[in-house]
Amino acid sequence: MTAPVRLPARKAQMPRPGEIFELAPRTMTRERMRWYVDAQATAVANDGKPRFGGPTIHDDDDYAISQGLPGIIADGMVSTNWLFSLLVEIFGPAAAASGRMRTRYIAPVYEDDVLHTSAKVTAVEYTGDTRSVQLELRCARADGTPVTVGEATVRITDDTD
Amino acid sequence: MQREARVATGGYVSDLDVGDVLGPISYRVKPFTVREYCHAVEIDHEAFQAGDAAVAPPTLVHLDKLKLYEAACPAGTGPTARVHVEYDAEWHAPVPVDTDVETTGTVTERFLKRGRTYVVTEIVMREASTGTALITYRDTVILAYEAQSEAAQ
Repeated sequence: MTAPVRLPARKAQMPRPGEIFELAPRTMTRERMRWYVDAQATAVANDGKPRFGGPTIHDDDDYAISQGLPGIIADGMVSTNWLFSLLVEIFGPAAAASGRMRTRYIAPVYEDDVLHTSAKVTAVEYTGDTRSVQLELRCARADGTPVTVGEATVRITDDTD
Repeated sequence: MQREARVATGGYVSDLDVGDVLGPISYRVKPFTVREYCHAVEIDHEAFQAGDAAVAPPTLVHLDKLKLYEAACPAGTGPTARVHVEYDAEWHAPVPVDTDVETTGTVTERFLKRGRTYVVTEIVMREASTGTALITYRDTVILAYEAQSEAAQ
């Protein structure tokens, strides 16, 4: 078996219910959409060589329009990953040790949409040496329209501190 | 509708139906892949991007679905582009780089809602050497952005 990996938790005080964390706003450029398409192809190949993906509805305007869309849209996993990166900002790499995340894509994200990525702590529970932090997740356009919503639970045990 | 499990061995992704089993597939979680992925999606912490990146993010499991599709549905996507509508994953333990994993998927739901066909696939990534479940993932897609009737597909 692979040796256990120690994932340090952030040393800052554990978040409390009601606290809200945010990333700096990010513009969904077509480059960011394409980076994901290429990363997807690279990860699927998994052979140590970078790949170009596509054509997909995330990187090819003509293809997206042929599918009934007004233009390219971001893959939902981009905003999901931005939300996960926010969990890493809050908890440190320990966010990847044990937890759950659910995200739903309730509106398309178009080129040049500016997304506000946030997580609100809804509960903190203690079970033995484990703290279980529940959060409400949200990516929204600048006008407040949510595009990705969901929830997460991050479990931090004392040995990850 | 539940039906007997069957191994999906051909056809299009859009043909997948309840009970279809995808995989298993086996591979090693490579540091290069983790770094490329995390760079692309801006997970900037060194635990994921350093030369000796320690661990894969639990979001990377989503791409196991594509590997499973590739293995089970060599004919490709089908007539229309899929649109991802929900990611729902639980990670039970970290996934260190250089871990050998085995992943299996099962199509658990296919239904029509507001003219769109939804397909739910439940995926389990296990450590190959022990069989320990590392991540369980429930993926939901619609088979086409434009609404249409199931009969028309």
